[in-house]
This record gives sequence, structure tokens and C-alpha cells, in this order.
Amino acid sequence: MNKKSRTEPYISTYLHSKGRKLGLPIAGNFELTARCNFNCPMCYVHMTEEQVRAAGKELTAEQWISIAREARDRGMIFVLLTGGEPLVRRDFFEIYRGMKEMGLLISINSNGSMIRGEILEKFLADPPFRFNISLYGGCNETYENMCGQPAYTRVKENIRALRKAGVEVSLNLSITPYNYQDLAQIYADAVELDVNVRASSYMYPSIRVNGEQYGCGNRLSPEDAAKYGVAWDQLRFTGEEFAVRAQNMKNLIGDEEPECPVESEEGVRCRAGSSAFWMTWDGQMRPCGMMPGPTAYPLEVGFEAAWETIKAETAKIRLPNQCTSCAKRDVCPVCAAVCVTETGAFDQVPTYVCRQTEQTICATWEAYQNRRGADSKQAEQTICTTWKAYQDGRGVEQRMEEESSEHAAEKEGN
Amino acid sequence: MKIKKQLIKREIAGDTILVPVGKTVYDSNGLFVLNELAAFIWDILPEVSDEVQIVERILADYEVTREVASADTAQFLRKLREMGIID
Ligand code: SF4
Ligand code: SF4
Repeated sequence: MNKKSRTEPYISTYLHSKGRKLGLPIAGNFELTARCNFNCPMCYVHMTEEQVRAAGKELTAEQWISIAREARDRGMIFVLLTGGEPLVRRDFFEIYRGMKEMGLLISINSNGSMIRGEILEKFLADPPFRFNISLYGGCNETYENMCGQPAYTRVKENIRALRKAGVEVSLNLSITPYNYQDLAQIYADAVELDVNVRASSYMYPSIRVNGEQYGCGNRLSPEDAAKYGVAWDQLRFTGEEFAVRAQNMKNLIGDEEPECPVESEEGVRCRAGSSAFWMTWDGQMRPCGMMPGPTAYPLEVGFEAAWETIKAETAKIRLPNQCTSCAKRDVCPVCAAVCVTETGAFDQVPTYVCRQTEQTICATWEAYQNRRGADSKQAEQTICTTWKAYQDGRGVEQRMEEESSEHAAEKEGN
Repeated sequence: MKIKKQLIKREIAGDTILVPVGKTVYDSNGLFVLNELAAFIWDILPEVSDEVQIVERILADYEVTREVASADTAQFLRKLREMGIID
């Protein structure tokens, strides 16, 4: 059987649309811990052992299994075990096996550094549906700078061992100020390891660990995020594919499968809170782990009541009017979690993302023109002038100015 | 008929789904969705020894012709064989 053509996505789409209609929690994300053996500056959840002790209590293996059982009885079939680094939990396999026995299809988010020796053996004997491994750089130095550990060689070895055994692996790449210089190497690694990479240069502000610092984060400027996002696109696409993408972008047509599939045009666009839920490490249920709320407490009120609350609260969320009617919407990664982490409110325009989207369109077109050997400056000017004229017409100009001053303030604040 | 793979049957909102576990994850494509007749056959597989017995059981429970029951059974069993789920 060809593993490349896994049928899961189709079935997953089907089940989610059914779940959405019937209000069933088809997918559950379980953040088993906030602890991690790495220490990445842009992480939205990572805490040290001491912080965890001060902030609350990690759920026990029995508690996780019991929540999963209730969710399973309500229709859950897809599970993502995440963290922090879920493998730092000594009782990880107790939870993993307990959930597998219930007939759940389990994927695991991991930094990959611990999947060797005994842990690797256990996974080879009983593999997850998929590992999503975060790759942080293309050399040990970058890993050391970004994660506090020179783990590149080790992570790569571990991924190679999983692939050799036939375990499904996909890579997540966060493009940040610490690793943008490694993109070419990371791409070469992915090709060598024969794995798909999902890259993002947009980093959510870490409000869950930094309190109410909306819109702040250890991340690239929106302009650089666009620039390196496009640099990545140039690596992964053939000339022809990139040309199609550039044309589509220019026409504001989204041509990519979004990270979180779009299910609705108003309110929360994805599956969060309608057929999927998130459990934080300390037992709070949310629609999505990036959001600071709405929150419900299944340990106190039971899974069923908590899920009903989350669905009802999610249904009330509305995105900014400006986004709903924005021409760039289909090429913009805006979502409810983006709005709330950038601005503190679901219905406020996330200006960082406007700027990144704007720049991505320009930079994609510019790169396309460069590839075609056209005069880059002229090309850049043409597209960007067109954009400016377009925005002038829609009165967006003023907003851009506001954003620039906000951004300056944010920079000073850092 | 012996089921050689580790698969857990789930019912979700009227659909019957087989979830691979253990090493079966290696050679599965994710989930299998069974239609009503396939789910019926799946349930009786351990109790029957050949295709003829399956067809008899279908005829006892469903109002279909022998022809249809045989064709559907053959098709489903072929799929299961292709996937190495039965011999
Ligand atoms: S570009 Fe800005 S206004 Fe338009 S959809 Fe994206 S975030 Fe909203
Ligand atoms: S709210 Fe945003 S980040 Fe959360 S699941 Fe939906 S699209 Fe993804």
C-alpha cells in the first residue's frame, strides 16, 4: 500500500463536516505538559518545572485517559498529543496506550530529541498514525541558539530511524529570527529524509506565558516574516509551481491547504470549537490552544457539559468586519486565534498580519519577476504601486499608518 | 475467517470505522469506513469459514438476491485480502 496516498484526509474531512453538523468532538488536542527539554523563545506554552509547579497542576495519566474516554464516547476519533514536549512525561506510554486501546487515531507533536533508545523501540512496536516533529534549524549552532541545546544531529538521526522503520513523519518549521539563515539546509534535510514540511513564519504572540502582552513575541518583523516565508516557498516550489502561486496571489486567490482547514466564513473559520477541542496541560478546555479563552472545566463539570459550553461560546465569536470583507482574506492567515493574540479581542484587526500578508503578496510577485529575469525594481514598484492605489481606494492607508506607529511602539517596548 | 490485523471497530454518528492499532498502523492508510453490509460482514467474519457462509448469513438478514449478496461479499473480501487483513 502506498503510504504517500493516505486516505485519512478525505475521511477526516468527511467526519469533521459530520461532526460540525451534529456538534460532535471529532478531534481532541491534548497538551500533556507545559514542560519541555528545549527552551525556545517563541513557544506559546513552555514553562520550567518551577513555573509549572507555581501555575497549577499537570493532569495525571488517569485523568487524561478518563477525559479521552468521555470524548471518545461522544465521537472523538482523532487525537493529537502535544505539549510542551509530551515525551518528557514519564507516564507518556501509559497515556498513549490507554488512548490507543480506545480506538483513537493518535498523532504526536514532538521536538524529536527524545525519540531514540527505549522510547524509539516502544514506538516502533506500536507507532502513532503520525509524528509531527518540529525542526528548528539546519545545524547544531542554530539549535543551541534557539532551543538551548545543540540537538540538530540527534534529532535528524532520530527522524531517520523513524523513517527507516516506515513511521509516518511530517516536519513543522517555525521560521524565526534565530533560524531564517538555515532555510536552504532545512529544505535539503527534508528532501533527504523524504518528509513533508509545514513551514510558518507567522508566530502567535505567546500570551499564554507572557500574560497580556498582546501582539508581542520573539519573532520576525512582519516584513521579514513575509520575506523568509517567500524564500521558503522558492525552495519548495518548482519554477512552474511558484509562477502559479505568484499569479494566484496577485489575484488574491489562496492556492494552499491552510494549516487549519476553513469551514466557515463568519466567526471562527476552522474546526476549533465546532468539531475539535483543545485541553491545556492543567485541564482547561478551549476551542484552540492558541486562544486564551473561552474556557470550560471538564474535570469539574464533566466532558459533555464542558464541550457544550465551548461550542456555545465559540459560536458567539466574530472576526473583525474588516477581515470578513477583506479582498486579501483568502491569501491571509487571519483566524480567531490570530486576532485575539495580536489585539486582545476577537473582533480587532491584527495589523501585524495585514502587513505580513501585504508584503507576502509583493515579495512573491517580486521573486517571480526576478526568476523571469525581469527588472526586479520595476516589477516590485508595479505591484506595490498597484496595491497602494487599491488600498487608497479602500481607505486602508490610514490603518497602515496606525499600524506603523503601533509597531514602532511595540519595538521600543521590547 | 481469521482477522490477521489489529483493527478496532468504532461507530461514529452512523458510520462504522476501523481504526488500526499496533503494527497495523504501518500498512494501513489511516481509517477504513465500512458501509452497512461491510460492517455486517466484518462482525460475522470470526464466526464463518468461507464465502458461502457469509452469503447465507446475509440472505438470512437482508432482503437481497443471492447474486447481489455474492457480488458484494466477493468485492469486500477482495479488498480485505489486498490489505492483508484476511488470507
Ligand atoms: S489582510 Fe488584514 S484585514 Fe485583510 S483579512 Fe488579513 S488581517 Fe484581516
Ligand atoms: S483558531 Fe486559528 S490557530 Fe486555532 S485552530 Fe482555528 S485556525 Fe488554527
